[in-house]
Amino acid sequence: MNTLTSIVTLLIFPAGITLILAGMFYEWIDRKLVARFQNRVGPRWFQPFADAVKLLAKEQIKPAIINPYLFFGLPIFALAGALTAALYVPLFGLAPPHSLTGDLVITIYLLSLPTMCIGLAGWNTTSRFSLIGATRTLTQLFAYEAPFLLALLGPALVAGSWQISEINGYAQNHWLILTQPIGFIVAVIGLMGKLELPPFDAPEAETEIIAGALTEYSGRGLMMFHLAKSAELVIGLTLVSSFYLGGLNGIGSFLIKTIILLFFMSILQSLLTRLRIDQTVGLWWRFGAILVLAQILVTILWKGFMP
Amino acid sequence: MNNKPSLWKQTMNKVRTWARMNSIGAIHFNSGSCNGCDIEILATLTPRYDVERFGIKLHGSPRHADVLLVTGPVTRQARERLIRTYEQMPEPKFVISVGACSISGGVFDGCYNVGGSVDEVIPVDVFVPGCPPRPEAIIDGIIQLLGQLQGGAPRPVAKPKMTGEVSS
Repeated sequence: MNTLTSIVTLLIFPAGITLILAGMFYEWIDRKLVARFQNRVGPRWFQPFADAVKLLAKEQIKPAIINPYLFFGLPIFALAGALTAALYVPLFGLAPPHSLTGDLVITIYLLSLPTMCIGLAGWNTTSRFSLIGATRTLTQLFAYEAPFLLALLGPALVAGSWQISEINGYAQNHWLILTQPIGFIVAVIGLMGKLELPPFDAPEAETEIIAGALTEYSGRGLMMFHLAKSAELVIGLTLVSSFYLGGLNGIGSFLIKTIILLFFMSILQSLLTRLRIDQTVGLWWRFGAILVLAQILVTILWKGFMP
Repeated sequence: MNNKPSLWKQTMNKVRTWARMNSIGAIHFNSGSCNGCDIEILATLTPRYDVERFGIKLHGSPRHADVLLVTGPVTRQARERLIRTYEQMPEPKFVISVGACSISGGVFDGCYNVGGSVDEVIPVDVFVPGCPPRPEAIIDGIIQLLGQLQGGAPRPVAKPKMTGEVSS
């Protein structure tokens, strides 16, 4: 019985199929909003689903000089990492299926697994475009990961816990976007960098390096990487909105808060142009990390002097 | 016993055809065009015509694409690159030849450096005439390709006749 519950939790609800479908839905909202900002009609509601099915039915070409285990294994690891991370976050406003002390760290590690896999995949396929893309992906990983972690550390410090469900419970009574506005901004921008959305899409800049690290991927592997990305989008939105936007305590608040957050992210996507990779790294380390560190210092002092 | 495929296979085929018709990744290849058709293809992708509402998206990598849009006559130097780009695309793949030159060689027919039309090099599914074709014509060509997909028309074959290629 317990095993059955775990399997259902992992594969059907709330991780697994439900999360993948939700990821497609959020991807559609994102594309539609960007299209509307550009004065276009935009894709139809089933577009990400049709893309996934089409890629599933396509041939998967295996390049000649590669390691086949890595080539076929990495997409599976990327998707598995993203789906496992969903077990620790309050997805759809429900209590997380698994919760333990310090699961915030586990979730952040699992969320960087797809990016690591994309970087390795680009290195493995040995095409010159995918090599450049992989280098940029990993450089960007080192750039955004620390400020993003620090931005999520602020709410954890205030709540006095590393457990996502406890921070979520604390945030329901305290709107942390008001007390920690810098952390919120850095978290949103870090999330955009994690998902390689414009202006941080230098790793997959299609006008310069074809398609970045995934240039040689086709068919099933490409589909799994895309699904991992859209699952990551939902999980990241859930994390940021549960920490900063007054917590998630039901399907209604989940939908409203994540879609408002996605709306602001798509405004930023349409407004800003692509940054060079050195500008990206500079932005995060020179401004993001310093500002968030200053805020954490203020939080610690506040907690120390005003108990 | 029965010649008809099973219900499961029929359903799967329907789903596959539906997905292929609603999600088209295009890639653009210029095999020696004067840039007129290329500008029109770019105009097709602008917000004015917005082909993303039909599910059409331009990709950079031939590995991600389904439809190859070829413009211009095939010059002797571009021939091998065109074949290589075509072979890099995963099955099922389709070719739309855009513009008068890609159909017959156009005004470049008989030039010393021109090998011929696109369908002499790779199999072409749809021809879009015009010099250059308007974006509406290109969208219409893609719609005709979708009709062929739905009807299950036989795939075309190339009619090679070009000889004496230049190796660079």
